[in-house]
Amino acid sequence: MDTISALGLILLIAMVLVGGQQGFQAFLSLLFNFGALFFAVVLIAFHFPPLVVTLITGVIVLALTVFLGGKDNASTQIAFFASAAVLLILVLVIVPIEHWAVVPGFGPEDSDDLEQMSLVLGINFLEVAMATAILSTLGAIAEAAMAISAGLAEILDQHPKITLSRLRGAGLKVGTQIIGTTFNTLFFGFFGGFLALFIWFAGVHYSLGQIINDKIFVAELLMVLFSMVGVILTIPLTTWLMTMQEAKKRKMNN
Amino acid sequence: MKTKRLRWPGWLTVLIIAVGGLIVLGVAHDDGLYKNPIMKITAVKTISSDKLTDQYQNADRAVTQQLTGVITNGQYRGKRVSVTNTYNVSQANSQQYRRSQRVFLTVHSTNHKFVATISDLKRDTSMAMTVWLVLSLLVGLMQFGGLMAFTSVLANGALFWVAVRWNAHTQGALVLTIFGGLAILFTAMTLSIVIGLNKQMLMTFLTTVVGTALAVLIAVVVFQLTNRKGVYFESMQYVTQLPLPLFLAEAMLGSLGAVMDEATDIIASLMALKEERPDISAHQIFRSGREIGGEIMGPLVNVLFFIFVADTLPMAILFLKNANSWGYTFNMTMSLGVIQSLISGIGIVLTVPIACWITSSLMGGLPRWIQFRR
Repeated sequence: MDTISALGLILLIAMVLVGGQQGFQAFLSLLFNFGALFFAVVLIAFHFPPLVVTLITGVIVLALTVFLGGKDNASTQIAFFASAAVLLILVLVIVPIEHWAVVPGFGPEDSDDLEQMSLVLGINFLEVAMATAILSTLGAIAEAAMAISAGLAEILDQHPKITLSRLRGAGLKVGTQIIGTTFNTLFFGFFGGFLALFIWFAGVHYSLGQIINDKIFVAELLMVLFSMVGVILTIPLTTWLMTMQEAKKRKMNN
Repeated sequence: MKTKRLRWPGWLTVLIIAVGGLIVLGVAHDDGLYKNPIMKITAVKTISSDKLTDQYQNADRAVTQQLTGVITNGQYRGKRVSVTNTYNVSQANSQQYRRSQRVFLTVHSTNHKFVATISDLKRDTSMAMTVWLVLSLLVGLMQFGGLMAFTSVLANGALFWVAVRWNAHTQGALVLTIFGGLAILFTAMTLSIVIGLNKQMLMTFLTTVVGTALAVLIAVVVFQLTNRKGVYFESMQYVTQLPLPLFLAEAMLGSLGAVMDEATDIIASLMALKEERPDISAHQIFRSGREIGGEIMGPLVNVLFFIFVADTLPMAILFLKNANSWGYTFNMTMSLGVIQSLISGIGIVLTVPIACWITSSLMGGLPRWIQFRR
């Protein structure tokens, strides 16, 4: 058996032992997400427009992650709509900033990997960079939206008569609680993924000026920042949708 | 957080955002701080545009542009310069330049004629501006809590850089020791900021360290047992030292944040539960812990999966366009990211029972028979 299958099998068993049915769903969502991502790569390589492919993949991935991960229906739906809305707003943030920073493709640090490769590609790699940035935020958006909608659903469950403005305040409070640890997840996730690059910088004695203008470093840091923007935006949006839904429900009951 | 009871004045938010804005403005005009000459592009002219094809029937265009501009810093300040730049329209490893961009120049000869080429684009302003956007959103929406989150990331970044420098100093011989120690330090520092110095912090700390260590340990064992079949370290990017320990250090750091996040959540909920019902049994602690953990572990694994694997997109497209098979492309570009996600995933899942076990043994969930006698 090769290493990937062995690790995958261990993960599957652990997930099912710990989470039962839900654990199995979590594993499925990981598997489907991989499928969606790989499919997106293939479509872009077949010259489908990267941004369109990314948007469609993004919505599918958010749906898979939220609906396979969530439990209670009403709050799960809110989480999906909120995360999809954040995805759209993020695209409007990411496209102009990536256009400004211009971090497409590969940097001088990649030249070893590019040897013997044809770089006649005919695909706009600036758009590929935007697609990469958008896709890398998806998990974080979905997680934040689920955490906040679940937190608010719990509050509504325990205090069904809570006023709408207090519910709004509670959403912000839940958000403030999760933001610190979520930022940590993002920080370590990204920097763990690019440890080798930083070691390279230190080993080759890049100056601070070189680092903060380096294509790969800026591309990477922008991805962390976009994910952070996504998580922050998720907090008020999810809270707002949740309050809207509650207001509608109360009106109907009266 | 105790300080939260202090009222956060509205003008402080405005002040932080305004000062941040001024810093971004400063970065936009910091050319004087750089040693390399910087040119502000004032005019762009396309000289030639040729069709390119390769042996895989890919088509692209090579464009040569003449860029005219003024040097804005150093000894050549004020000098008008003209340079040429050739790029492929796909811009995979070359770049198109536009008017009013600032670029770094490499000067080749200065005796008779000034000859220069562009080395790179000046990107610090766009980066500073995005950092400012994040800070403004944080402080605007969450005031003190937002500022703390931002500060904690900055502190972690500084610590991280110190460790990277130290690792370079030792030629990478101690990579696992250094980053393992760093992980413990990170965890202690972050948790004492987020939770404070108390028993809950200690339990979360222990859970995080054990969970992350266990994931790395399992990875090592699986690597051994499977002979690292299908692990292509030669495809690892930017490697300047022994790949296996470096990869393990990456996997460890990568999962640390998520494991910490999860441990914080589960233990906080279990503590609240214990406070509400002091006579709760160890068995019930396990059951509630599994319920809470089971809900958050799936989304967390996905967070890391997208971070690790989305990064590989450009390289994967390059491989596919070079007529490589899907399987080979996956092995050479995405597989290490997937392996890293799987290792982190195992850590995240195992953290659930570890958190329950540590909580029930340190908080003293009552064994069933005592509860029964009551």
